[in-house]
Amino acid sequence: MLRHCTMAELLELRDGEGSAWARTHVDECGECRAELERAHQRVAALKALPSYSPPRDRWPAVREELIRSRRRARWQRAAWGGLTAAAAAIALFVAGRGLIGPGTPELMAQEVSELQQESRQLEEVLYTVANERRVVKGVTVAVIVALEDRIAVIDAGIATIQRDEGTVTIALRDLWRERVELIDQLVTTHVTQVSYLGY
Amino acid sequence: MTEITLTALDELAIQRAKSGDLAALERVYRAYESTVYTQARRICRTAEDAEEVLQETFLEVCRSIGKFRGTAPGSLTAWIKRIASSKALIRIRHEKYRQTDELQEDSGWAGRRDGDVGLQLDLEAALQQLSDTSRAVVWLHDVEGFTHEEIAEQMGKTVSFSKSQLSRAHARLRGMLGEEEVQC
Repeated sequence: MLRHCTMAELLELRDGEGSAWARTHVDECGECRAELERAHQRVAALKALPSYSPPRDRWPAVREELIRSRRRARWQRAAWGGLTAAAAAIALFVAGRGLIGPGTPELMAQEVSELQQESRQLEEVLYTVANERRVVKGVTVAVIVALEDRIAVIDAGIATIQRDEGTVTIALRDLWRERVELIDQLVTTHVTQVSYLGY
Repeated sequence: MTEITLTALDELAIQRAKSGDLAALERVYRAYESTVYTQARRICRTAEDAEEVLQETFLEVCRSIGKFRGTAPGSLTAWIKRIASSKALIRIRHEKYRQTDELQEDSGWAGRRDGDVGLQLDLEAALQQLSDTSRAVVWLHDVEGFTHEEIAEQMGKTVSFSKSQLSRAHARLRGMLGEEEVQC
């Protein structure tokens, strides 16, 4: 039975597909050939439609969101890094407690010796950063003075224990730990100030 | 002219854009904003939706361009258009469109006008009379050059669905435009 091509068959032919029957039929049928030509013209007309320009500039919104998401990603990385460092510190602390218990004076003496060495290294750094001539904010000065006062008190305590006990005690070790921590804070305060001014 | 601009952009700015340089990313945006907006405008029903698609597309482009590995001429254009079509199709799948999709097809057609400008306006208006799905398929396949396989994948449908929507769209356009019989 003779029939014409459907729209689907014509579009398949246009796309280089289609059945052999459809191809033969279009070759022989003027009506279907004309329909195929109309489909070509319709697509050409669609392609010739003018372009649009966006009514508003969307780049500022894209840029803002991009910056915001980058900031979020940085915070997330920092948070993960902090958690990892904290976990490592706890692990070290637990391990250290196991190795250097209060009942082993030799190991405790070794820890104090290491703390003293660490303290000296921090003081060298502190000497360098604290003697750079620069303007220091009032708030920072107050923090520095408070830290220095606490270190002075600790130094007095260390001197007293060393004079009275003449040996390494738990109290002495704890004072050295605290001293190292405070000097570290002092260095950080100075360095932060330098970075701030440098920026 | 457009191709020259896009080729130059490919060669000079893509590497910087891939590294996250905001100035280079803005150049990519400026080069493609009209292309993306036009594509979105043809697929979506409203200008506001097309603007949203434009923004979502470039957020995706800026976040993912570091992973873009295309080197062939035009591959960046194809990649960006693919992201834009995906965003536009997501938008037209939204509930409010689905509810009115079928109702849209037969309403408000005012008939054809005369002349080339008239034909353009007729075609614009006729496009708007199609269902969202048919309009998206005819535009993506016949104008943007997507294959039925690509359209089906993006729509989450079959290739047959895409083909039937295309022939349906052509039949509808033909009817609305009242195309004259071509004499052999």
